[in-house]
Amino acid sequence: MIPPEVLAALKAAVGPQWVKDARAELDTYATDGLPTHRSLPGAAVIPGRKDELLQVIRILHHHRIPAVARGAGTGLSGGALASGDAVLVVLTRLNRILKIDAENRRAVVEPGVVNTRLSAAAEPFGLHYAPDPSSQPACTIGGNVAENAGGPHCLKYGVTTNHILALDVVLPDGELLSLGSPSGEPWGPDLVGLFVGSEGTFGIATEITVKLTPTPTAIRTLLADFTLLRSAGQAVTSIIAAGFVPAALEILDHNTIAAVEASIYRAGYPTDAGAVLLVELDGMDELAVEAEASQVEDLLESAGARSIQLASDPAKREKLWHGRKKAFGAMGRLGSDLVVQDAVVPRSKLPDVLDQIGEIGERYSISLCNVFHAGDGNLHPNIAFDQTDPDLAERVRRASTDIVRLCIEAGGTITGEHGVGTDKMHYMPLVYDADTLGAMNRIRHVFDPLELANPGKVLPVHSCRG
Amino acid sequence: MNTPPISGLDPCVHCGFCLQACPTYLATGDESDSPRGRIVLMRSLARGSLSTTEPTLAFHLDRCLGCLACEPVCPSDVRYGTALEATRALIAQSRPVPLVARMVNAVMADRRLRRPLLGLARLVRPVAGVLAGQSRLGFAFGMLRATENGQRWGKQGQKTEKASLPAPSASSAPSALLFTGCIMEGLFSHVHEATHRTLSANGYRSTRVPHQGCCGALHAHTGEHDKAVDLARRNVAAFADCPESVIAVNSAGCGAMLKEYGRLLAGDPLEPEAVALSQRVRDVSQLLASRETRRGHTLALKVAYDPPCHLLHAQRIADAPRALLASIPGIEMVQHRDAAMCCGSAGSYSLTQVGLSRTVLEDKVNALIAADPDVVATGNPGCIMQIGAGLAAVGSSIPVVHPIEILDWSYAMAGFYDE
Repeated sequence: MIPPEVLAALKAAVGPQWVKDARAELDTYATDGLPTHRSLPGAAVIPGRKDELLQVIRILHHHRIPAVARGAGTGLSGGALASGDAVLVVLTRLNRILKIDAENRRAVVEPGVVNTRLSAAAEPFGLHYAPDPSSQPACTIGGNVAENAGGPHCLKYGVTTNHILALDVVLPDGELLSLGSPSGEPWGPDLVGLFVGSEGTFGIATEITVKLTPTPTAIRTLLADFTLLRSAGQAVTSIIAAGFVPAALEILDHNTIAAVEASIYRAGYPTDAGAVLLVELDGMDELAVEAEASQVEDLLESAGARSIQLASDPAKREKLWHGRKKAFGAMGRLGSDLVVQDAVVPRSKLPDVLDQIGEIGERYSISLCNVFHAGDGNLHPNIAFDQTDPDLAERVRRASTDIVRLCIEAGGTITGEHGVGTDKMHYMPLVYDADTLGAMNRIRHVFDPLELANPGKVLPVHSCRG
Repeated sequence: MNTPPISGLDPCVHCGFCLQACPTYLATGDESDSPRGRIVLMRSLARGSLSTTEPTLAFHLDRCLGCLACEPVCPSDVRYGTALEATRALIAQSRPVPLVARMVNAVMADRRLRRPLLGLARLVRPVAGVLAGQSRLGFAFGMLRATENGQRWGKQGQKTEKASLPAPSASSAPSALLFTGCIMEGLFSHVHEATHRTLSANGYRSTRVPHQGCCGALHAHTGEHDKAVDLARRNVAAFADCPESVIAVNSAGCGAMLKEYGRLLAGDPLEPEAVALSQRVRDVSQLLASRETRRGHTLALKVAYDPPCHLLHAQRIADAPRALLASIPGIEMVQHRDAAMCCGSAGSYSLTQVGLSRTVLEDKVNALIAADPDVVATGNPGCIMQIGAGLAAVGSSIPVVHPIEILDWSYAMAGFYDE
């Protein structure tokens, strides 16, 4: 419960219609993109300007009430959930692109700007914002900063942290701070790097200076299909081993293909394939990209590809990519509930790990879909199920844990881009010992000594030592 | 009162791909005003964890335009529109449908009320342009003014060469039955006439059947489920006499509703006829674009086509109206930003949700003014009135007409109707 005087103060700060405390409204804010986790916030506040946001944070700090930042609510780790004693601070109305500086290839945006809208605004200058999470038509740059979001094209261009030059942030006590330098060469410790990926536990970014990337003019997208998922994984290893740095290397397995091809985003993936591998090569020189494409084609053939489609026109390419990027949403066809893992393994281990994940699926008789950033070794096993079946839900939970343990034993880790949030917090002691977790907790306390920013996420406090 | 069950929402996995397609979410940034948020509300209602008496539940569901822009972008094919209708019917059991919507629904459903009232509106119409403005009343006059016959804008260019194709012979002509509707009959009779003429010029035998009436879309969308069923039954009976002919519809909202009659009358004795009727329904642009559209006289006009939501999203007809307009010699199609976004009309929504409706409209008007067309074309009466009033309110004189009217001007100038 949020005390009435706090609600009154919040209403005075942002206008009464932007403070939500009715049960039905809070219901719509109880989940993010991973609705297997649910928590009703005490209230939700939607400030419309930066100064309103600062006031909100100061009011909450004054009353020692935790604040949880939320963008578009497309996160996949239950990171933007607030409990009944906390207030959700919704940043969707802070959605102005403040500056596009084409000459210096950078832009300044508010946190609620939607990822693809930034790229659309940069397009007339031949530029784009490179990190492209599949949720990019909906997710916000602020959320991308919080989660250090990745995406298919991050294989070549790097993840969010490689594209953030500077941040204005408001700390949980209401203090405003500028981190980094717009020219990208800050002195002292890399505080931007520390803040990006902190999942809302250090504060809220109010203005974000991002790097814009020249849009490649030569692009080739190849779609290879394989009888076995394992062979697709081997093809990835051989392409990288041969020295290529494709813009993207993405795998969709048989079950994922079925879901996508049944949807409005059907891309023409062969539905009888064990897996398809999407390879994108790009650059500024047609001939060079063309030559690379033909060499990659040879590698795909030697890896056992049944057929290879080449898309060079934008419409066909867009179709191939739509299928990949909407795959997560299409899985609602397979079950009304969905869990998704985000483990990372060394690329060379991909074929074996994929086989073993398949075995886990069989062992627990669950329906598994693999769709993932193969070039980064970043796996996304999705499990569609029905939560009202308690036995099935328990099997899904166990299979998920087994998959995570398997990936860690293969030398990997628990999250590549979705963040720890609520969902993976209990896995943290599997990869970090108590001293390391304790050290992370002390860093958090530098920014947030009272634990008012997104408390109860990321760090399992009972496992932290010191 | 019967209400259908709330169904079709199970595949939603909360991915959020619908968010940026939703005009009300873009206007407010509030999850409760988004398709995904409303799906949460509808699911809670279906499960019984929220009740219809929860005021904020009805508040946010009332604010949905029902434009269905969320449906074609959904990777899991969530049936948002069907669920919304069922939910509104359920809400209507515990709270009356908004008074203004009820009045509109009552007038449109009943010819005895509709004829005199719309007749009165026609009498006032010649002076409506003078009274059009930004106030509520001024906006209403702007809407009325937009229903005028747009022919005077088509009198550009002069008569030169005649038809490029000979008039088709009538002997083997397929017949098309015109759906006359309510407001289309009362205030857009010139569009009906243009539809009749252009269909005839393209080799259709265009006729009308008696005893047809309002399609019931306004009623279904506002929660008057039983009334919508009554109206559907009447139309199913009226069109059952000519089971071979296609039904030509020139109002996107009516076309979308007629195509849903099979679902609306599920379990009704008339269900088989309703399913058959739904399959016979064609938008007039589809009928004309399905064969080589006869080319009329050159019209040097810059046209911005604004697709009605119930054509683009509900019926998924995107290309036919553009093809029809592009078939007119001399027409230059101009693109405006976010053309696929709703204009905020949505039946009686523009009267019941004035504030949000106008906010949504503002983007549309700005986009159209930036594109600077000679004329805006859109195939739905509500959209013509809403965009027309919106343009008038900011002092723009760009006319808004039905695409078929532009084709009709071109044919008239080519002398097709003199034969």
